[in-house]
Formats: sequence, structure tokens, C-alpha cells
Amino acid sequence: MSVSMSKKRLNLGLDRFSGVYLGILFIIVFSLLSSQFFNMATFHVIASTQSTAGIIAIALLVPMVCEQFDLSVGANANLTGMLAVILQVNEHWSALAAVLAAIGVGFAVGMVNGFIVVALRVSSFIATLGVSSVLGAVTIIFTSNITPAAPTSSGWTNLTQIQVGGFQVVFVYLIALALLTWWLLEFTPAGRYLYAIGGNKEAARLAGVRVNRWSFLALALAGGVSGFAGILYTSLTGPSFTFGAALLLPGFAAVFLGATQITPGRFNVWGTLIAIFVLAVGVQGLELLSGATWLSPMFNGVALIAAVALAVTRGTRRRKATRQASVSQLADDGGPPPPSPGRPLGEESRRQEENAVAGQAPGGGTIASE
Amino acid sequence: MTAVLTASKLSKTFNGRTVLREFEITIEPGEIHALLGQNGSGKSTLIKALAGYHVPDEGAIIQVGGRDLEPGSPASAFQLGCRFVHQDLALVHTMSVQDNLFLTSGFPTRFGGVSRKAARRAAVRALSVVGLDLDPDEQVAALRPAQRTGVAVARALLGHDGELPAVVVLDEPTATLPTHEVHALLATLRSTAASGVGILYVTHHLDEVRGFAGQVTVLRNGSRIGCWDVNEISSADLVRRLVGKQLADELHTAQESPRPGASTEGAAILTVSGLRAARLSELSLQVRPGEIVGIYGLTGSGREDALTAIYGSVRREAGRVRVGSQELPAGRPDAAIKAGVGYLPPDRKTLGAVMDLSARHNLTLPDVRPFWHRGILHRKPEAAEVNTWFDRMRVEPRDGAEAPLSTFSGGNQQKILLAKWLRLAPRVLLLDEPSQGVDIGAKLEVHRQIAAAARGGAAVVVCSSEVEELVALCGRVLVMRNGHVSDDLAGSRVNVTDINLSFHGDQRERAGGRHQ
Repeated sequence: MSVSMSKKRLNLGLDRFSGVYLGILFIIVFSLLSSQFFNMATFHVIASTQSTAGIIAIALLVPMVCEQFDLSVGANANLTGMLAVILQVNEHWSALAAVLAAIGVGFAVGMVNGFIVVALRVSSFIATLGVSSVLGAVTIIFTSNITPAAPTSSGWTNLTQIQVGGFQVVFVYLIALALLTWWLLEFTPAGRYLYAIGGNKEAARLAGVRVNRWSFLALALAGGVSGFAGILYTSLTGPSFTFGAALLLPGFAAVFLGATQITPGRFNVWGTLIAIFVLAVGVQGLELLSGATWLSPMFNGVALIAAVALAVTRGTRRRKATRQASVSQLADDGGPPPPSPGRPLGEESRRQEENAVAGQAPGGGTIASE
Repeated sequence: MTAVLTASKLSKTFNGRTVLREFEITIEPGEIHALLGQNGSGKSTLIKALAGYHVPDEGAIIQVGGRDLEPGSPASAFQLGCRFVHQDLALVHTMSVQDNLFLTSGFPTRFGGVSRKAARRAAVRALSVVGLDLDPDEQVAALRPAQRTGVAVARALLGHDGELPAVVVLDEPTATLPTHEVHALLATLRSTAASGVGILYVTHHLDEVRGFAGQVTVLRNGSRIGCWDVNEISSADLVRRLVGKQLADELHTAQESPRPGASTEGAAILTVSGLRAARLSELSLQVRPGEIVGIYGLTGSGREDALTAIYGSVRREAGRVRVGSQELPAGRPDAAIKAGVGYLPPDRKTLGAVMDLSARHNLTLPDVRPFWHRGILHRKPEAAEVNTWFDRMRVEPRDGAEAPLSTFSGGNQQKILLAKWLRLAPRVLLLDEPSQGVDIGAKLEVHRQIAAAARGGAAVVVCSSEVEELVALCGRVLVMRNGHVSDDLAGSRVNVTDINLSFHGDQRERAGGRHQ
């Protein structure tokens, strides 16, 4: 009975924190190979440059929990960052007003995504892909395709460049946002509903979860957080037309890799952050050693594929184990339900059916059985 | 004349359980032979053994047209002239009739490409054999259900080189057809038989046997009860042989008397009027607190849509549902829950549960508010409540609340899902196939809990394809056919034989209606 239970208890360390161990391994290896690596400056650089990436990953995470892909986070961040700059430089708004307006626009984009997915019933993948293209165009329109000068007000630069405990304040924003998201996903009814929707949308709906409402809110939130990320990036590094696109894939890689950590098989915040930083440490170390510039996209691409492949094989192994476990319990179990007439008669379903038939009580069964 | 199909000593055993016991049958050319059997009688296993999907036990002799069938080989069955029309017609709806017809037997070709003219001619010929007047270019999706079944039959009749097959086996072809379409299909099959093809027709419906089949074989619990000329046996006799004297022995002995769900005090709490949705044409119903009402029917009867229509999880085309004085809106399961209704869906894996989530999360999903205090959900009180329910329902493993629901056995999963609703103390409990995929022990527990809920004042509606379950639980049973309630049995009429007799229908009434 407790076959899978004991298996879960065994690998507490290695299974759930492999990322942390890997990160420590990277640090040790790179520190040995390069004297320049192991110093606080390196870590501060990693912390601040990856913070925006981390915030984008968090933006991706929330809708991902309820199975919505938000491919527009990069373009959204790009748009809001540029918007904040343009409002200050061209329209002479104050930094605060510009920041608030830009975040508002980010939320609005998220709500548009939500509307298209929930009301128009377009898949989130397609909807946000289309929206991201539109956002790129809109960004070009209001900037007239000219990169604006960076705003010089202290309000703007202080947004990201104050130091707190040696780290730039962006890092603190990231941690604060991560804590909020952790609270949302683990300790609120909303979090329960999001995971339920992601696990089985129809079952969640039948259990009274308002699927449309929560999917919409998840996408809206993603938009707002992306907006925030965009402003931070532009404040830190200056306005650019391309930073958004570059943040998208690493974000997804981190979210999926993060699902292998802490609570394996389940998207979660801290796993995502671990993934972001481990990947960054790996890339930074290799770049320092080799000077190659293609390392980041290579790393992130491979990591994304590896993370999803791992998840698929784990899922298949778990399903096989569950099936075997229930088959071995035939003595006191009716076994898995027989396949419906419409299902393809493959080898697997034939075995399943034989077990189901053998285990069923006489006279019992559904229409789908004899 | 050589028989088109003979079988003898045909047995099949799965893991020590004999599902089919020394079956035998003989079908002559042009004969329409009906096979009658209930759920669990071994019908499907028989057909799959003939089709080569299952390998029968040693010693089985199956011959098609005098030639031995190779066991376990679908190709052998096809080659010898055995054709099948399964419940899943396996037609591609987005393709034309013509394309579907040649899917299995291959297209007439010319120089490697499909010869459109020859194909069209062959298609028209194939359709005329079954008496279907259809445009071969029409999309299957646009056809009526009987026409689709007809196309599946026409395809089954396409032999190699224009030869008709020896025998066509149809597995409950009318399960999803409305009455007038059944008539059309039977006519199609009569013309087919007239061409010398043998027909083995598997069905639940007595009225399709009389006036259509020549011979009938009855299968019960894997054994061939007998074979009769249709004109030589009465319907009542057939039903008795079909159902046997089986009683729900384990269930009955375990049940505390008096029968639960028969107490009827006070005003109805659930009122359903003129409900119409999907395959449900019309349902009106009143259930009082403490009453357990059963709904019985097979695929296509509207039974499957009854509870979802009452709950409101599907769009309603017409009708109203009230719980007490509150109207239940359609499309709002959350509103139904707030009004005090609980709904246990039929298929756990796809509808009833979120399998990847823990048992705890599944159990508390409809209402987590009791644990929400000062901005967070408190785990301890939640775990405590979950454990209380685990104890009450005797879920094993008792301490496994944190494990994913998928790791529990089917019976335990169902107990957890039932607890999910009982926890809300619902005024109305809608249960769809509550013991589907559930072992005997868990089934008893589930039934005990349902009875207890009714005693506690809930109005319960149980939808099931298992007559014994309904007899064990319900004070009243509604029998559904073709989207309507065809009978309302109460009190002493709630027993296996009466429900089956009512379901299979009064022969005279049925025949009168059909010949209009």
C-alpha cells in the first residue's frame, strides 16, 4: 500500500535539492579553476543581473501553475520599460508617475491576455504569442523606433541602484516578490484553486472552482509583474528594444527546472529561483573561463529541454508504478476502470482491461465493460 | 449448407477468473442471430475473442465458413470473411463516406493513385447492398446516427474482390440511436441478411430481438444459458433467463434493515421540472430529505446527462431546478455547492478528482474557508479534519493524506471523494456511478455512508448502470429510455427482476409503437 510513500521519503536530500548541490558544485569547480570567480563582486553582479530574469520567471510561474503559457512577458516588460522612459524623457512625467503608469499598462496587457484566453477561448499559447508580436509593434510606434536617452532623475535611478546590505535593491525586490508569490501559491485558497485547475481543469470546475476567474487573474497578475520587471531592467541597464525577447526563454527554463526542485513535479517559487541562480552561476563561471558569448542561450536551451524531458519520464514512471501498484492490489481492488469503447485497442489498454475484468466483482461493471 | 460461423468449447479466463465458459453457437447463411446478455455476462469478451483481440483458452473451436479461425489473429478473422461493427464505429467524421468505406479494404487504384471513378462506383454499390441511398461524397459528420451505423455496416460488407463476407458481428449498434433510427438500421440489416450474410447481433434490447432476429442465444455470467427460436419463447421467459435468480447477496446481507432511502417525510427539497439537456429529453423529479432515488438506464437513455443537468455543470436547454426555495442556475457548479448540492462525477480520473494533488487537497477543495485565518490557510486544523474523515470512511493507508490521490486504490479514492462532499453536509447529494471501479469492501462502505447521509436528512439521487446497487440503496427507481423516464418503481417493486422487466419493456406496447 505504501509503496510510493516510502519511495518519496527516501530521496529527501538529493531528489528535491539537486539544484542547490549542483550550484555548490559549480561554485567549487569554478573557484578552483579561476581565481577571479569566488568574490563578492561576482555574486553581486549575478544577483542583480539575474533579479530581473527572476522576476520574469515569477511572472511566468503563476499562470503556468494553472496551465496557461504566457509568452508575452518579455514583450510586455520591454514595452513597459520603454514606456516609463518615454513618459519621463518626452512627456516630462515624474519618475513615480511614469513607473505607476507603466505597471498599470503591464496589468492591462495581462488583462487583455486573460480576456482572449477566457472569453474568446483561444489557447494561452497562441493568444500570448500573438499579443507579444502586437506589443513589439506598439513599442516601435510610441518610440518612433528611436532608442530614447536614459532618464537622469535620481528617483528613477534610485529605483534599482540603491545598495541594501551590499546587494543592489533589485535583489531585495526579487526576494520580496518571491515571498509574496510563495504565500499566494501555498497559503491562500487562490493558490489551491490554481494548482487544482492546472491538475485537472474540469474536475476543479465540478468541485466549484471558478476556473475562468482564476485563469484571468493569473494572466493579469503575470502582466503586472512583467511590467514591474521591465521598469527595473530599464532603470538598471538603460532602455533597449531587445531585452524582453532575451528574458523569455531563460524564464521558462527556470520555471520548468524549478519544478524538479523542492516539490518535484510541481511548479513552485523557490525551485524557480534556485534554477535561475544555478544557471546563472554556471553561465557566469564558464564565461569567465572561456570568454565565449554564446553560453547563456546554449545553457538555457539545453536546461529547458532537459527539465521537461525529466518531468515527462518521471511522470511516465510514476504512472507505471501507480498502475502496477493497483494491479498488484487486485485482491481487494476492482482495478483500473475498463477502457471506454472509443479508446484505441493497444497492448497497454488490453492488459489494463484484462486486469480490470479479472478484478471486478461478478455482475458489476459499467457500460464500457461487457 | 455450411454454417457461416460455428464455435464450441469457447472459453476465456483472465488471471484465474473465468469470464466465458464453453460457449457454443451456430449461425447459418442469411440467419439473424441475436445474443442477449447483461453487463458482465461475457458478451464483449466473446466478440473480442472472435475478432482476434483476445486469445481464447485452449480447446476452443471457431470456424468461419467451415474453415478454422486462427486464435488471436484479427487478420485471420478478416480473411475468412468475419466482419465487425463495434460500439465505436471507428469512422473518421471529417472524411467523406467514400473515403471511410475504403479505409480498411483499400482504394481502387490506377497507376498508384486513387481512381476516383472506380472508387465512386464501388462506393455506390456498397451502399446499395445495405439499402442506403447516400451521396458518397457527403461528410460522415453530416450524417444521422443510423446512417453512420449503416456506413459502418457497408464498410464491413466490403470484401476483397467484391465478395460478400460470411458473417457480420454487430456489438450493440443501436445503443446511441433514437427509436426511429433503430427501425432504419434493422431494415438495412434485413437486406444484408437477405444476400446470404450471417448476422450476429449483440444487444440488451428485447424489442430488437423479436420481429428481427430468427434465433436468440442468452448469455449470463459467462455461461450460455440456451439458444431458442425467437418465436418459441416468450419475452418474460427470456428476461428471466437473462437475469436469473441472482440477488445482490453480499450487498443485501451487509445492509441494515429497513431499506434506506424509503423514508419520505415532509416537503420535497429537490424539485426538477421539465429538464432538458444533451441526450436528456425530459426529466421531472421531486426528492424529499432522507429519500434515495435511483436512476437506471443504459448508454443513450439520457441517464448520463441527468445529474450534470440537475447540478448545472452543463448548459440546460429547458427546465428548472430548485433546492428548497433557491433556483439553481446552469453553468455554475459553485452556485450549486453554495445552495447545498454535492455532485460526485462518474469518471474519477477525468472528472471526479485532481489525481496529482494530495488526498488532503482533493478532500477540502470545495471549501477551504474554515482553515483561512489571519491571512493564511492553516495546515494543522485541515490535516486534523482530513484525518477524521479518513477514520470515518476507513480509508487506507490511514496516514496517507499527503500522498497524491493517484496512489490510492480505486475504492479508497472513491471514499475520499465521497468524503469531499459529505464534509459539506449537503442538502442534496447527486451520485453518478458511485461504485465504478471500486472493490467490494469499499463499495459496502460507500453504500453505508450514502445510507447514513440520507438518514441525516440529505436528499440523494443515485445514477447507476448496476441494478443491484440501486436495489440495495434506493426507495424509488426511475427507469430511463430514449431521454425520458419510462417507469417509476417504488416500494416492493424495487427489485432486480421488476426493474429489468420494466427496462426491457412490455412487448406488446413496444411492437405497437415500432410499426407506426
